[in-house]
Parts: sequence; C-alpha cells; structure tokens
Amino acid sequence: MAGDLRDKVRREVGKLVVGREREVDLLLVCLLAKGHVLLEGVPGVSKTLVANAFAKCLGLQFKRVQFTPDILPLDIIGGFVFDLKDREFEFRRGPVFTNVLLADEINRAPPKVQSALLESMQELQVTVEGHTEKLPSPFMVIATQNPLEFEGVYPLPEGQLDRFMVKVTFGYPSKEVESSIIRRNLSKLDVADVNPVLAPGELDSLFAEVEKVTVSDDVLSYLSRVAEATRKEGSLVLGASPRAIVQLVHCARARALIEGRKYVTPDDVKSLANDVLAHRLAVDRAAAFKGVSQNTGTILSGILDRVEPPR
Amino acid sequence: MVSSQLVLGALLALNVALFAPLVLAAMRARRRTRASNLADAFDGLEKALRRAAPDLPAGFTWEEAVARLRASGVKTEGIEPALRGYEDYRYGGQPLPNLDYSEVLKVAERVGGRWSLGR
Repeated sequence: MAGDLRDKVRREVGKLVVGREREVDLLLVCLLAKGHVLLEGVPGVSKTLVANAFAKCLGLQFKRVQFTPDILPLDIIGGFVFDLKDREFEFRRGPVFTNVLLADEINRAPPKVQSALLESMQELQVTVEGHTEKLPSPFMVIATQNPLEFEGVYPLPEGQLDRFMVKVTFGYPSKEVESSIIRRNLSKLDVADVNPVLAPGELDSLFAEVEKVTVSDDVLSYLSRVAEATRKEGSLVLGASPRAIVQLVHCARARALIEGRKYVTPDDVKSLANDVLAHRLAVDRAAAFKGVSQNTGTILSGILDRVEPPR
Repeated sequence: MVSSQLVLGALLALNVALFAPLVLAAMRARRRTRASNLADAFDGLEKALRRAAPDLPAGFTWEEAVARLRASGVKTEGIEPALRGYEDYRYGGQPLPNLDYSEVLKVAERVGGRWSLGR
C-alpha cells in the first residue's frame, strides 16, 4: 500500500504542480513520521499550492492562516468568547483545529504568536485559561517562510526551528519545468481536480506500519556517529541534538516503508539527513571568516561523506 | 659459438612467448573477485569500487554506488535484485539468501579490472 502511495500522491499533486516531486515525497515522509514541515522559498514558487493539493489528495482537512505582524495567538489557537444567548463564555476553536494547517509566512508573525503555534505542534493540544482541547489526528503544520534577507520578518530561533522535523527549500524551477508551468496555467487550475488517494482509516494503518519498521544496531551506530561528527565539526557551534537524531530515525522509517521495506538502510538515513538536520545546525562565525562554507547543508554533506555507513 | 647464442636467444624468446600469457592469466585470476556467498560478493564489489574510484567518499552507500556505476555506463540491472536480498540480510535481520550473485561478481570484475569510474 505504501509503495504505490508515493506514486499516487505525486500523480494527484502533479495535476496542479509540476516538478515538485522531491518536495512532495518529503511532505509524505514527514506526515508518516508525524512531524511538521518548514517550507522556505521566495514568494510564487508554489509552496501553498503544493501544501493544499497534498492535504486534499490524502483526504485531510486543510486550513490556511496568513501570518501578519498584527496577528494574535487567539487568531490561531482560538479562545473564549461570550455567548450572549447562554450568557456564558464558550471556547471557540481557532484554525489550528484541523489536520493540515498551512501557516503561511510564519516569520512575519511576532514571536508570541509563533510560540503559541509551536507549543500546539509539540503538545498536540491547545490550552487556554486552563481549558485543554486535543488537536485532531493526524495534525501536521506546514509552515512557509521567506528567506531571511527580506524585510519585516521575525526569524524563528534555533529552539523553535528544532520543532520542525524537516525543512524543505523551494528553489526556482528549471527552464523546462517553468515552460510546463506556463503552459499548464494557460487553463484554470482547480484544487477540486485533486482526488483523494486514501480511504478513511488507511492513514492510521500506515502510521502503524511505520512503527513496525526496524532499525538494526549497525544503522543506529551509524546515526550516532553522524551526530557525534556534527558536534565535533570545527565549523559548527551547534551540532545535531538527540531530538534531531530521533526525528531523523522516524523519517528514515517512513521512507523505508514508502520504498516497500520493513527495515531502515543507511541510504534512508543519508538521503534525509540534510532535510532533517541542516536547519538545526549553527555555523561558527569565526570559522566562516576563515573561508569555511556558511551553509550548514554543505558542511553536513562533507560530514556524511566522511562517516562510513555499514555496508 | 654465434649460432648457439642465437639458438639460446630464440629459445628464451619462445619461452617468454609461451609463458607470458599463462603468467598474465594467473595474475588476472588472482585479481578476480572470489566469493562463496552473496555477502562475499558485495564485499568484493566494495573493494573493486574503492580501487576503481579512489575519489569515492568513505561515506558512500550502496544506492550511491549503484548510481555511480550506472552513470559510468555499467549495467546494474543484474545486481539490483541481489542487492535487495543482501540488504534484507544486512539491515533487515533476514538469513543470508541463496541468490545468484554472479552478476555482482561480473560487475566487480569489470570495475576492478579495465574500468575506472568517472564521476
């Protein structure tokens, strides 16, 4: 079931978006690993459309919130409002009560709002004035952010970036893909054309399947060696945390299931390491002055080239 | 005197001509990957890859190795089922399967012999 799921999801999302297969695969891995995704890219590279089509094809409830500098925590998680008829306060749920929440331009919202959302992501519940409500299952946040050189943004601190299982960078499409995008946009695109590929309850059985994917001691040792190497890397001041490595294992298990395996291979780990770890690492500015790359992805690739996997 | 030297030289040349192919064949046989099971075959392939591509990073995985072979024009379809079986054993805790690994050895010989792997 999981093996052809990827192809089905790609096909359905592909009805609206061209050339984003890898990004869609990562969304699927992250959903099966019960994580949240941060999409980074300049405006107009189909981040929102991918998220919307992805939720639709999996038959999940989807809501979108546009983050702005004047947004309040209440606008996201909800709050108590006075019901004039019953003459009492009742809890009104915010848009966070959904399966897939698209938090558009999360770095445009002030830190208080960001942290309100990130708490719900971690706890999978919302607490307002002592009243706690569980979020629907599955719950996945797909947050988008513009690259930080843009003005009027509040960059997510390291601790909050760590809550995102995967960071996906949306670059500009290639020339060929761009031609297809233009051609396709000559006629109207409609999310209604995207059909669900999963029957109700199938997603729950996929979550259960992921739990059964095994990780051998050799692969676990490989993961530890990768983590250790990031911590000992001279050009980094912040290496991979144990939480980051645990999340990498979850993602690797999800990928293994999608590939039709019941065990994790070093390829699962290595192919996802950059997407899961790079955004949690911090470059040593002193090393950057010495001409060392400031890109954590490049540094991590170098580390992965040095750490020998079990073969 | 001169004629006996000529005869000796001719005999020496004849010996070289006769035995050189035998020596070369023996050397080739020594370089050939020997394997008694699937795991040995992949061990041989790993060694052959390291010899053929010294720039291959220490952290290479089988998926990357196969991609590199393919990019170098080596046909890999034959080794893919064997690789899957080997991975079932190596990472999945399954018993070593009794699969045909001759294709793995062929690729190892091809890689370790005349071939050098370009990027």
